Amino acid sequence: MVSSYRSIVSPKTLAKFGAAFALAAAILYGFIPESGHGEQNRILLTGSSTIAPLAAELARAYEKAHPGTRIDVETGGSSRGISDIRRGLADIGMVSRALKPTESDLVSHLVARDGVALIVHKTNPVDGLTSDQTSALYTRKIANWSAFGGPDQKVVLVHKAQGRSTLEIFLKYFGLSDDDIRPDVVIGDNEQGIKTVAANPSAIGYVSIGTAETAIEHGNAIKLLHLDGIAASTAHVADGRFPMTRALNFVTKDTSSPKAADFIAYAQSDSADALIRSLAFVPPKR
Amino acid sequence: MKRSVSNRILATSFAGGAFLLAALFLWILGDILWRGLAGIDLAFLIQNPLNAGRSGGIRSVLVATLYIISLSIVIAAPLGLLAGMFLSELCHVYPRISRLIRQSLDTLAGVPSIIFGLFGNAVFAQYLGFRVSILTGALTLAVMILPFLIRSVEHSLRSLPAYYHRSAQALGLSRTTIMGHILLPAALPGLSTGLVLGIGRALAETAALVFTSGYVARMPGSVFDSGRALSVHIFDLAMNVPGGSTNAYKSAAVLVALLLIINLAIMALGHMRNRRRGEPNGC
Repeated sequence: MVSSYRSIVSPKTLAKFGAAFALAAAILYGFIPESGHGEQNRILLTGSSTIAPLAAELARAYEKAHPGTRIDVETGGSSRGISDIRRGLADIGMVSRALKPTESDLVSHLVARDGVALIVHKTNPVDGLTSDQTSALYTRKIANWSAFGGPDQKVVLVHKAQGRSTLEIFLKYFGLSDDDIRPDVVIGDNEQGIKTVAANPSAIGYVSIGTAETAIEHGNAIKLLHLDGIAASTAHVADGRFPMTRALNFVTKDTSSPKAADFIAYAQSDSADALIRSLAFVPPKR
Repeated sequence: MKRSVSNRILATSFAGGAFLLAALFLWILGDILWRGLAGIDLAFLIQNPLNAGRSGGIRSVLVATLYIISLSIVIAAPLGLLAGMFLSELCHVYPRISRLIRQSLDTLAGVPSIIFGLFGNAVFAQYLGFRVSILTGALTLAVMILPFLIRSVEHSLRSLPAYYHRSAQALGLSRTTIMGHILLPAALPGLSTGLVLGIGRALAETAALVFTSGYVARMPGSVFDSGRALSVHIFDLAMNVPGGSTNAYKSAAVLVALLLIINLAIMALGHMRNRRRGEPNGC
């Protein structure tokens, strides 16, 4: 009985399957030469998923202008960008923050800025808030617009869903944790935030400044609030005066290949501005 | 009299539960397809993505997804069949190894997918040198769906009546014949169930694929190129690209349609052989 059972996976059968697998592997390996050539014309970027769509579009435009060059963009977060650069696995890292003092072995190249501003309905008489006032609002210590000279209306808090980069900037700037906030409305992207605030005179939300400016130009009933006395505008993000922003950097080792340096120069040139704006980021003042 | 009333109540609640489940499924399906399919035309399927996915279509993404899924099936199915046969037919001979394998499989089935992603990146992409590529993604997904495959193959073989074996041996059938004509057909429905479960998980996978099959939305030239899967594309459009939600919905509708088509095809393949033999499939 037992011996007949053992036979089911007999050496002969195993050998057949092994041969089939070897054949499949051999066929797969036939593809290798196709991907192996032109290695020196390849640039690999890895890192922040916030920067990745911008980097991919910059890469497409650069490839068009430089035939034969191939740029691959991979994501996985800013920390992957840092570690891949250190280990020599990538040519350029994408890091959506300023480099830390412990990362002084790397060189950062500013490509764009990402600014977040508070928005309210156009009819709201409040023009600006301080950081303390905003924290108090979002933690419900103040719940009525009358505290800021507005109408006697309950504040409707519009908050972003987890995983959004604007949420991270917002929480980091005010030193809040997501658990501290009990929002009335949770939204996904910037457009949804603008629509929600435009439809509710007592709502407050926060969105990417570039998107908000465009929305106001198109007649949406919202306005941008000053933060700590500084007007929220892309101009103030570009020159670094508006505080609730973060830098979107390309990061390299000192010994960067000339190919990578040329692509970074392209990403920092005026020709990148339109693409940067199309993804709701702000081109830095050059 | 009393019994017939309670019987009827019980039967009605069973039917109600089943009906509710079907309605829920149709609701979710209808919502996604209605919102997404409305905007889908042929151009969306045969154009490459442009402008960070906000315009153009999903051709290259669709091709990469099909590469990844079919390659992972090709890798996982034979391994799943062999391992399932081992566990159901040889567990008496190697009880300790079998127990170890079973425990490993059950643990693997519960491991979060991001772990598979980091494992795939470390082993296939870096150690074996396949880089971030469709092959790396397919191998990672194969490892991910193997536990489902093996367990369901094992279960369908275990449900075989014992007299199948005895009759075959009494007839003096050769070992290869037993394997090819009795065990393999019996394992196919299990294999197809396992594949359906596994592919459902694989198609929805974002975390593991970002680190293995990659983000590049270009048309893949070979399995050694990085290729963006549909789930990664949907996640990127929904989370990282301003104004990408319309195309995210459309892509989600395509993903659901793809899942339904693949599942129906696999189920059909799994049952075809038995139907031809005139064996019952159940209801």
